[in-house]
Amino acid sequence: MDGTKQSGLVKFKDNLFTVKDSLLGSFIRSGAPTSDRSRTAIMFNNFFLHVQTVKTHINTLRPSYTLGMGLIALFLMIIAFISGIFLMVYYNPSIENAFNSVKDINFVVSGGKLMRNVHKWSGEAMIIFVLFHMTRVFYTSSYLRGREFNWLIGIVLLVLTFLLNLTGYMLPWDQLSYWALVIVANIIAAPLEMTDIMGVTKYFDIGGISKELFLGGLVPGKEALNRVYLFHIMLLPAAILIILGVHFWRIRKDGGLTRPDKFDRKDTDTTYITPPDKTGDIFPTYKTYGLMELAKGKTPAVDNDVENTVLSWPNLLIAELAVMMFTLAAVVAYSFYIDAPLKELANPAIPENPAKAPWYFLGLQELVGYSAFMGGQGIPMAALLGLALIPFLDRESEHTGIWFSNKQGLTVTIISFIVGTVGLIGTLAFTIQYGWFRNWWPNIPQIVIVMINPGTIWLGFVMIWSLATIKITGSTRMGAIALFTIFLVSYIILTYTGTVLRGPNWDFFWSQSEWPIH
Amino acid sequence: MHSRFYLSLLLISSLVLMMFIGMGVYREMTSEWKTYQTEYKNMLVRNAEDDAARKRAEKLEIGLRQNYVASLNKSDRCMSCHIGVENPYMAKADQPFTLHSGDYIENHPVDKFGCTICHYGQGRATNKKEAHGKGHTHWDYPIIPTKYIQSACAKCHDYKMLQEEGAELVVKGEKLFREKGCRGCHKLNGVGGDLGKALDGIGSKPRAYYAMKHVVGEHTAYNWIKQHFDDPRAIVPTSEMRVFMEEDESDLLTTYIFSIREEEMPSKYRFLKNIVTPPRDGESLYKMFCVACHGSGKISVYDEIFDRTIPAITNPPFLRSADNKTIKNIVMEGRGGTQMTSWKTTASGLKEEDVDKIVEYVASSRTYERPEPFNYLEFQTNIDSGMRLYNNRCSYCHGKEGKGGNRQLGINLKNSTVQQVLDPEFLALTIRDGREGTPMPSFGGDGLGLSDQNIADVVAYVKTFGKKK
Repeated sequence: MDGTKQSGLVKFKDNLFTVKDSLLGSFIRSGAPTSDRSRTAIMFNNFFLHVQTVKTHINTLRPSYTLGMGLIALFLMIIAFISGIFLMVYYNPSIENAFNSVKDINFVVSGGKLMRNVHKWSGEAMIIFVLFHMTRVFYTSSYLRGREFNWLIGIVLLVLTFLLNLTGYMLPWDQLSYWALVIVANIIAAPLEMTDIMGVTKYFDIGGISKELFLGGLVPGKEALNRVYLFHIMLLPAAILIILGVHFWRIRKDGGLTRPDKFDRKDTDTTYITPPDKTGDIFPTYKTYGLMELAKGKTPAVDNDVENTVLSWPNLLIAELAVMMFTLAAVVAYSFYIDAPLKELANPAIPENPAKAPWYFLGLQELVGYSAFMGGQGIPMAALLGLALIPFLDRESEHTGIWFSNKQGLTVTIISFIVGTVGLIGTLAFTIQYGWFRNWWPNIPQIVIVMINPGTIWLGFVMIWSLATIKITGSTRMGAIALFTIFLVSYIILTYTGTVLRGPNWDFFWSQSEWPIH
Repeated sequence: MHSRFYLSLLLISSLVLMMFIGMGVYREMTSEWKTYQTEYKNMLVRNAEDDAARKRAEKLEIGLRQNYVASLNKSDRCMSCHIGVENPYMAKADQPFTLHSGDYIENHPVDKFGCTICHYGQGRATNKKEAHGKGHTHWDYPIIPTKYIQSACAKCHDYKMLQEEGAELVVKGEKLFREKGCRGCHKLNGVGGDLGKALDGIGSKPRAYYAMKHVVGEHTAYNWIKQHFDDPRAIVPTSEMRVFMEEDESDLLTTYIFSIREEEMPSKYRFLKNIVTPPRDGESLYKMFCVACHGSGKISVYDEIFDRTIPAITNPPFLRSADNKTIKNIVMEGRGGTQMTSWKTTASGLKEEDVDKIVEYVASSRTYERPEPFNYLEFQTNIDSGMRLYNNRCSYCHGKEGKGGNRQLGINLKNSTVQQVLDPEFLALTIRDGREGTPMPSFGGDGLGLSDQNIADVVAYVKTFGKKK
């Protein structure tokens, strides 16, 4: 008995002294990443790393291929999450205190103003980079070969990004928040225009019901703020996290990032990869290799790993870390100089003029100016539907992994860009200069304007343009390029118009400095 | 390691990030209020009279000062910079360290009242620009200029006390407000005319309530109100407001305007001991509601803004033809188509007994020399002849359809006052004798040669205007 007791204590003592090693060992099971084997093991032993492959294709690591857009969007989201938790500590979601608590974050919370700026700008930058990421994915045909479903998930993520930003915009309860809330509620109520035309609003007021559901009442108030807050801090983040998990899992399942079928290594690749050391473990030094076969190619592939891949640890992870640090530094630097806007306390009696939605919806608001239903719901739905259907209508997968597919693709992109820019600016200029049907024939039925307005005409033109491209080039991919290019151009031009060129009463001005002084 | 590209990106980004975090920390450590407090502390140490005082000064903690006054819902951080506001030794110091002027602070201790309850501005802000809230700071209530500061006193104190204890500017403003006839056009607490905007809570209206386009200098509500008093049409080109100001009266009225506030102070802050009800005799009421347009009422004035003649209502010829009942009817019903609005209780909030007092005051200069009665009812009237006469003699001023207006001199004869309220006798007398002091000439007898029968016909015709659609 005595001896057993003795040895138990000794065991305990030994365990105690080796606690550092055993504890670390339980965290990092494969030991320090010093050999290819342990570098491999670390990737699939770690929960957070195992969603990525053990080996990464060199093409994926080329900055010129992905431009890091998706990664930047992810890191922006993480930054927004962390800064958001910081802000949540101080923010109070009641109409009495919301504005004051944001003021306090700005004025007395240590680092509060910077944190709020970081939160605001990382969130809004997310929109830009999610769109950039989508653009990259599109122009490299990365929505094909089993990735069709992931493209759809990507569109859901885009919508969630918009919604997260929008709900966040409403929380400070200042004039911007309040009137954006009013505008968004009115966009939600846009089917009213249709039900009014059909004369069934009395029985089937889908627009009014949606609006009431969103606001928790007829006008924005404390219920609306609570709803928006709940969405912003709980439902939408949870949704985006889960769906983002699926997005990443599908990338893995669909065979990683796309790459061209015919891949050649370049000399410059060595600036961003570490070649495998090929010593120890699976490449024991005591083994020798004999020449078995002559194969085409410049040199024997001694330094190359299987199929132009390199180990993810450290190659991929160092790249991710660098992009993360770059994103963080850029956001903090921007936030250091530019403050997130905060206007006067919300005042239902004094409308902002112009009352504007957040900038990323001003393209929609521009269209809403023509027809509430078409601009607010019809055209955006059509655009989203068009985007979603691209992988199913274009199945030419031979260009996958190549920017703009081929020379013809680049030409179509450039021509569509020019046609889109000139055409849309022309349409807007005409409408601004000469007005629309209502100005010419005041008694025209509203249904005609809903159906035929600059927005729908433009939508129709884009469809015809894409179909014409398909017919002329004989390639659905070219049609898709034409469609997507004009979509991007339209989003940018309409957003610019709504943001910069529209002033009080939604009148046209070249810049804000020309606005009449109120 | 060969991944030079990503490693350099990592290194540079990390350095940039550290630099900006460092700059952020530095910016917070050297904030405006910290600099001021350090300066203040040094001043105290330098000027200490003895060692004990110096030691106390050295112990002064540099930190954000905040007055949270729960019952006023105010968090004022003004003392983070204005740290010497309660220190008598700071009487001669420069801003922001100087002692509060006067003896107000003795009776209004900062910890019970805060600062913004009187001075406005953004109490939560911790830098000068946003705390004072001037310029483009997106703050609704910028700091109030000291010349209007007495408006804040009236939030809690009665006018008697204000008069006696040194807030006479707002008292004078209030008196001017009553005597300039502001409520002839503006409602306050539900009583007043309809031409202008109601003034309830006007002092609490945010900056965005005002159209600042033509305001000279800082775009604040204070400047808007003051400059609007000086020249209404310079600020609002379409304004019909009539003002007659002497020198400093616009400042006094501005002070009073900013004491009309939406928010009510908690009862424990209010100090209302001698509430003196302003006089409500006929003369006071006349001034309160009528004087802005009618002035003394002795002479008719052609008003360019109204584009019509404002009739003399206290001159004897008018009073001779109009008896009290007629005057009261006109006051109660108003004159449709003119700036004279109805003063019925339902329209103006004015009680009928007050209207009676006003009518009595207006009629007080009547000489009791009634005109020779016309006896309208004794005439057999002929509407066709009345129509011919009207078209020949009256329509030039009153219009073919009797609508008046449109740069025509005559009043609207279609309005309900003429049609329903005024009796034909009064109309006939007006046509026969004219209205002295107005463009309405005497048509009867020796004047423009209408016989009494003619006049009766015209009256009968005029009375038919109300029946046509």
